[in-house]
Amino acid sequence: MLKLFGGFFAGVLAVAVLGYIFMGSLMFREIESPFGVEETVARIQQNIQNVGNGWALSGLRNPGRAVESAGGNVLPVMMVEACSTKYSAPILKDDSVRFLSILMPCKVSVYKKNDGKTYIGMMNAGLMGKMFGPMVGDVMSKVAEDQAKFVLFDPNQPAPPMLKPAAPGATGAAGASAPGGC
Amino acid sequence: MPTIRRALLATCGAAVMLTALSAFAAASPDPTSSLNGATSSKKSTADHSKFPELKRKFKTGPEVTQACLVCHTEAAKQVQHTKHWTWQSADPKTGQVRGKKNIINNYCTSVVSNEKDCMACHAGYGWKDQSFDFSVQKNVDCLICHDGTGTYRKLPGYAGHPVYKRVEFPHGSGRFVDAVDLGKVAQSVQLPSRSNCGSCHFFGGGANGAKHGDMDSSLQHPEHYLDVHMAEKGLNFSCITCHATNSHEITGSRYNVEAARTGDAAIRGKTDANPAACQACHSNKPHHEARLNQHTEKIACQTCHIPEFARNNIGTELSWDWSKATIMGEDGKRMMRKDSAGRRAFDSQKGEWKWESHVIPEYRWFNGTSTYKVIGDKIDPPKPVQLSVVGGGPDDAESRIWPTKVHRGKQPYDTVNMTLTVQHTGGEDATALWHNYDWQKAIATGMKAAGLPYSGKYDFVETELTWPITHMVAPKEDALSCAQCHSKNGRLKDIEGIYMPARDGSRWLDILGWTLALLTLIGVLVHGAIRVVNSRKAG
Repeated sequence: MLKLFGGFFAGVLAVAVLGYIFMGSLMFREIESPFGVEETVARIQQNIQNVGNGWALSGLRNPGRAVESAGGNVLPVMMVEACSTKYSAPILKDDSVRFLSILMPCKVSVYKKNDGKTYIGMMNAGLMGKMFGPMVGDVMSKVAEDQAKFVLFDPNQPAPPMLKPAAPGATGAAGASAPGGC
Repeated sequence: MPTIRRALLATCGAAVMLTALSAFAAASPDPTSSLNGATSSKKSTADHSKFPELKRKFKTGPEVTQACLVCHTEAAKQVQHTKHWTWQSADPKTGQVRGKKNIINNYCTSVVSNEKDCMACHAGYGWKDQSFDFSVQKNVDCLICHDGTGTYRKLPGYAGHPVYKRVEFPHGSGRFVDAVDLGKVAQSVQLPSRSNCGSCHFFGGGANGAKHGDMDSSLQHPEHYLDVHMAEKGLNFSCITCHATNSHEITGSRYNVEAARTGDAAIRGKTDANPAACQACHSNKPHHEARLNQHTEKIACQTCHIPEFARNNIGTELSWDWSKATIMGEDGKRMMRKDSAGRRAFDSQKGEWKWESHVIPEYRWFNGTSTYKVIGDKIDPPKPVQLSVVGGGPDDAESRIWPTKVHRGKQPYDTVNMTLTVQHTGGEDATALWHNYDWQKAIATGMKAAGLPYSGKYDFVETELTWPITHMVAPKEDALSCAQCHSKNGRLKDIEGIYMPARDGSRWLDILGWTLALLTLIGVLVHGAIRVVNSRKAG
């Protein structure tokens, strides 16, 4: 009996350790982009506008600019922000999961690393949604499907212009007054 | 009592010294302002707006120069000995005659047959073809470097003259450039500011930031993160703070780089010391850590302190593909396209470009001598043609590992004579490429102007142009960290001829080391197991 319980708890412990180790890579995804930072941002913006389901751009944030203002340097990083009221509304209407507004708007991060390549970072919306009940799980699985389309690129198409938010504050603005603001 | 007296005397002495130091500090000019040439705030002994020679209506630039020469009798002669005038220089080590007049670059390729356009950046007036007389003093352009109004502008197509009447520029754009008020500009003259130098050097290669990557219009009003020396709210250096002049000769040319300066910092004002080197102020051992100072024996300061260049939205051009020029739009008309950041990406006149911001340098050994491809040099396609190669190597004491920008491109060459071609691009005549989109005519005219044979057959060859990077020095906190180089795939992974801990190693030594470690572990486990077994037997 002792061996049985010992084995069970050892298994639970092993799963917990593995979960802890891989939690980061499960929650978030990182893929390499074949384009530079600006072009990647522009193509994602274009995809967001074309994907339907109520998606609209709500901002373009440059967190590196704040570092520069403080006198420092970081490699470029841009955050494309988008929102779909079709998906946000059910969550925002439900008091029990309203705290998930902290995840809004949906963000796709585009950044360069020291290897000179451009990468795209995204939240694994499908997996995270499952943690918060069936309604959120259903919504987030649809968000995840659309998210995958945001980063599908056709290199034969010419590079579109990068869209900068018209809201005051330019690249630093969250774009609350922009049409896609959640 | 004597103790009290000594204490009183010491206190009084300290008070006197402090008072004297305070007075000295109050009387001394701000050390930064003495270096500040960005706005030429130094008080001059002459107010040029009061000079009778300048209080008149000038019709042309040469008229202004003649007025300048009334007082500055030697100025034009001095300028005429500089590269800013001759566009030519001989390498003191190799003897190669380079300069814009002779080399072929990766941008608009050659000035020959295109002088009317290119001379917008010549410190002179009237260089429109090979017949230009370099001895005429009134053709020296004083204002391009000394204008204090910011209104003096030279456009392509005017052979180095500013516009004397309002013109549409670019032609057909609906935008206009007003005629320059030469009198006002002449009365405003000052030491060269960042704006003066930048009017050409920020826009080399035909666009903002295109050419060098470490120089663009962001250096006009730079923030601290971009350049610690030029930061407007910091040291506020102008270009001439480092590129100090003597008789109009400007130090620190890219044609003669001091790649491996050693010794102490130089005292400013010594004419025999080139101030356009980091070591001029910082010495060759600027760090508190001896280990870091050892790095200066192999590494240029720029390598660690300029971790990336073009650190802004302007970016820099990384390639120019001339083989795509003359591709027209579906309607048969000139087509232009911009990239996602709004920079030029394609033009039927000029081809295709690629740009990037925050560029990670390519690292090379560099001893200060670059070898250039000059007009008429033989090439060896299909290998990429090296339009400029930085010299040096690990065994050369004058060499250091430098950050560089490598600009890649494609441009035409004569497939029979095996030379890069000179093409007539600018102008409204029937053979200009940008007018008639005919490579054959453009090359034939260009080669004739250059005095070179042309077989009539051309193709395109890959080219590379390498620039050492030296501007846009980042704050020290942003210098490269140890691991960024000392790792298998670090910044210096391709640098040969040097042993770098953590990057290099001996496979057999590693195997031996790991074997020893493994044997030790096995020994410990066996030893432990024996003790456990023995203790059970004993117990």
